Amino acid sequence: MKVYSLILSFILLLGGILLPRDFDSRDIPIHENGRIKPLDTFVRNQLLTIYGKRSIKPKALPDDLNSKGLSATDWFFDIALNLEEGDKYKVFNISNPEVVASLGLYWDPGHLYNRKEVLTGLKTQLDYISTVQGKPENELTQFDIHLLKVYSNVIQYQALSYSLSCLLPLIQINDKNIAKSLSVNPGDKLSYYQLLRKANLLSPLMERLLKQNKDELSESDHELQHIMGILNEIDQDKFARILKIIPPESGNQNEEWQSPWELMESRMIGPNQKKLLITLESFLRYRIDNNTKKSTSVLAEYENILSHSFSGLFDLTNIKRETWTNKANLFYKSIALYILAFLLLIISWMTKPKLLRRISFACLLGGLAFHFYGILLRIIIMQRPPVSTLYESIIFVSLIGVICASLLEYNRKDGIGIFMGAIIGAALHFVGLGYANDGDTLGMLVAVLNSNFWLATHVTTITIGYGTSLFAGVLGHVYLLQTIRNPFDKKYLKTVNANVFGATLFALFFTLFGTILGGIWADQSWGRFWGWDPKENGALLIVMWQIMMLHLRITGLVKPLGFALGMILNNIVVILAWFGVNLLGVGLHSYGFATGIAVNISLFIAFELFTGLGTYYWAKNRQKQLTAN
Amino acid sequence: MRIKDIINFLKQPKIFVFALIWMMILIFLGTLAQKDMGLYAAQKRYFSAWITWFWFLPMPGGRFTLIVILINLSFFFFNKSIWKIKKLGIVILHLGGILLFVGGGLTAMFSSEGNMVIEEGAQTNYVEDYHFMELAIINTSASSFDEFTIFDQALLKRNQILKHTNLNFEIEILNYLENCEPTRRTSPAGILHKGLLKNFMLNELKSEKEDNWNRPGMIYKISNSGTNADGMYGIFLGQSVSQTISVNDKDYTIILRRKRTHLPFSIELLDFKKILHPGTDIPKSYSSDINLIENGAVRKILIEMNEPLRHKGYTFFQSSFIEGPDSETTVLAVVKNYGRLFPYISSIIMCIGLLFHLSQKLPDLFRKTRDKSVS
Repeated sequence: MKVYSLILSFILLLGGILLPRDFDSRDIPIHENGRIKPLDTFVRNQLLTIYGKRSIKPKALPDDLNSKGLSATDWFFDIALNLEEGDKYKVFNISNPEVVASLGLYWDPGHLYNRKEVLTGLKTQLDYISTVQGKPENELTQFDIHLLKVYSNVIQYQALSYSLSCLLPLIQINDKNIAKSLSVNPGDKLSYYQLLRKANLLSPLMERLLKQNKDELSESDHELQHIMGILNEIDQDKFARILKIIPPESGNQNEEWQSPWELMESRMIGPNQKKLLITLESFLRYRIDNNTKKSTSVLAEYENILSHSFSGLFDLTNIKRETWTNKANLFYKSIALYILAFLLLIISWMTKPKLLRRISFACLLGGLAFHFYGILLRIIIMQRPPVSTLYESIIFVSLIGVICASLLEYNRKDGIGIFMGAIIGAALHFVGLGYANDGDTLGMLVAVLNSNFWLATHVTTITIGYGTSLFAGVLGHVYLLQTIRNPFDKKYLKTVNANVFGATLFALFFTLFGTILGGIWADQSWGRFWGWDPKENGALLIVMWQIMMLHLRITGLVKPLGFALGMILNNIVVILAWFGVNLLGVGLHSYGFATGIAVNISLFIAFELFTGLGTYYWAKNRQKQLTAN
Repeated sequence: MRIKDIINFLKQPKIFVFALIWMMILIFLGTLAQKDMGLYAAQKRYFSAWITWFWFLPMPGGRFTLIVILINLSFFFFNKSIWKIKKLGIVILHLGGILLFVGGGLTAMFSSEGNMVIEEGAQTNYVEDYHFMELAIINTSASSFDEFTIFDQALLKRNQILKHTNLNFEIEILNYLENCEPTRRTSPAGILHKGLLKNFMLNELKSEKEDNWNRPGMIYKISNSGTNADGMYGIFLGQSVSQTISVNDKDYTIILRRKRTHLPFSIELLDFKKILHPGTDIPKSYSSDINLIENGAVRKILIEMNEPLRHKGYTFFQSSFIEGPDSETTVLAVVKNYGRLFPYISSIIMCIGLLFHLSQKLPDLFRKTRDKSVS
């Protein structure tokens, strides 16, 4: 029964992705940091940098607007289409009180300010900012760092908000003569780009204007001057070039994409690029007019041009898939289910043990399904194994831990597996979320990592090794806790001890071969099997620690309690090898950055030492009491 | 009887456990030390040393500890209790372990590695060592050929006297500097100072973290030439104008350079390519288009990241590059390693062993005693 419901829910999940969906404005492909992604991902990350969240919460909206919040894409189109209205959003998150004071802002408990406020404040600080910018990084104070951050956020915001201004209908043509020569109706609004395309029609008028005497200017001439003035004004926006949404005309993968403003400036617009720009232009126009029907049909055409003229560059279904993934927030769902499973398990210890434990296990498996599905989507989107950054490895290790725990639960059916799975899953997910807030978690890889074969073999194996090792360590904790709780139940403890031993063997299998495979990869790419690089040594230390514990146990030098303690301490070795290496700042594997890691690692080590040794001696005492009795 | 005692002593698993713990300590310290002393120095001090000194206390180094483990591991097979079908997985596993050690030993003793630096359009037929230097004395008097006399790194140390029948003079090394820097003389040169030393001195510097950032140098004395070439000279790696002397109508050029190993073939660089992920500084791939020239036969080959060229026991990897104003230069890492295949073989053997053992053991270890849930 349970199995069927699981399969059913999984099919529903898959449906979300397999059913075809119309192309919408979130899916517009954009090129950033070497990767083609949906506009949705891009603006979410922009918003994350400026505002600290991936969508607009009600707090940042004006008080009179009684809304439940706004998606990043809607926010983006709002600030890009209505240049002046963008000021209604309080999206600048400034939490440093000194910076707030120096910008002359009132103290807002939500730390949120709008562009106008921040811009006015920054204007008084421009001299200071330019002196700070020249300083080396290590001489900056906390205040300087925060101020520079605000400054760069404002620039980023401006670049976003003006990125489409060349395509907006901002220039109204009132004069009949000019309208006639441009072959539009008087009163029509044209965009900068439209006028650019009609520049040759305007040139006779311009020539006349230049010859004309200043006192004899006609009304048309005045308007022409006015139009020129507006054009010049819009031309100031050409700094806003971060929105690289137009693919290279050549369709070459290694060529850069360009933003509308870059194309305006270079004037080298290929025929397909032109088609895209014009379609985009009319999309923006309909969007301003709130004409949903038309704007949808124009977007369909946009999709059509993309898929026909630039087909080799990207896979639109994949881009849509990524948009869907952004919205689905699968990992939040899995965390929620893990926590629910944990709560239900605790309640099951008090009442209705059998029923609640089953529901709790179902929750854990449900969380696992979301978790697995989230990782699967990342694999499909990036076309590579899900283990190439620190963030990805955390999420993956968490998955492995939960899988091991579920298998244990399936075998034992007594709640230990649920207990472990919920803790490992939720805790590592939270660590991962911390990393996810650094921005786009789907990054491009440097040349040496750009090999799916080795990522799939070595990196995946060693990461599974981390996961199974952590699992064995947590099982060690469980063994010690169970000994304290009930040292009389020898038979029961024996089975848990056998599980710790088995988990260690299992972990050793993956860490050992992960490490050797790493050596083989190094031999293939650098010509040496072993180079005593910190990460290699870290992996080797895990392997050696596990081999040591197994031999200590086999030879009887340690007893089950000591073995459990040893595997708990193995967690420290794993964490040092996994994260600690980045602190050294030497070697080949120093990816991911280390700020804040040091404190967290120390806390973790202290926690494991304290709880490990504490429960070990407590458990030993309990056993002594038992034999004394 | 006595032999049996020795065997019994040597096969104790305790030895393994303690050696393993000591090795872990060495690895831990050696890894931390890399931050301060760099990889090469840390490796020499902790991992590939027979003895590691902790202040005045000599302790077993990495190599010694590994040998102890290897010996202990070999005597494991004298345990009668392991020769059972049930333990087959364990036996295979340990056998694979021994192979891994043997391969490591072969690599540590016999492998050689270096660099091949080729500019676009040029060809090279030698490999430069990463760490070792050599002193080359080239007799350029003959019009049709040059006569090379090479002194190895081992001979380049203070107070060493270098002689050879090719040379009608002697070289005495007055000082050898691991890392140095030429600076202008502050005091006037003495009458014995010749060549470089007339205007410069060599200042000894602290060794760099990365061994190949060091610029070794040497002060030497030429004597018994019977000419005014006798005197004190200075030389350093990468000197732009080489020292030349002439003794009895023979002209010699003296160069301190990275030790060269000549290959039975040469490599010509046609084109070096670096591709970035567009719009970023993240490299997507590096590759060198080369010609492998052997006995006049030319073969065109592409060397890429993760796609090395293997030829006659040598392996060429894309390692680095130098960007010049008009042409690029590729840096290929060249390795000759006799122990190369051991990790491959041993990991397969160990994999089989461990899987065999796991398949026997795991069902037991993960089965919950059912009667518990009944009671």
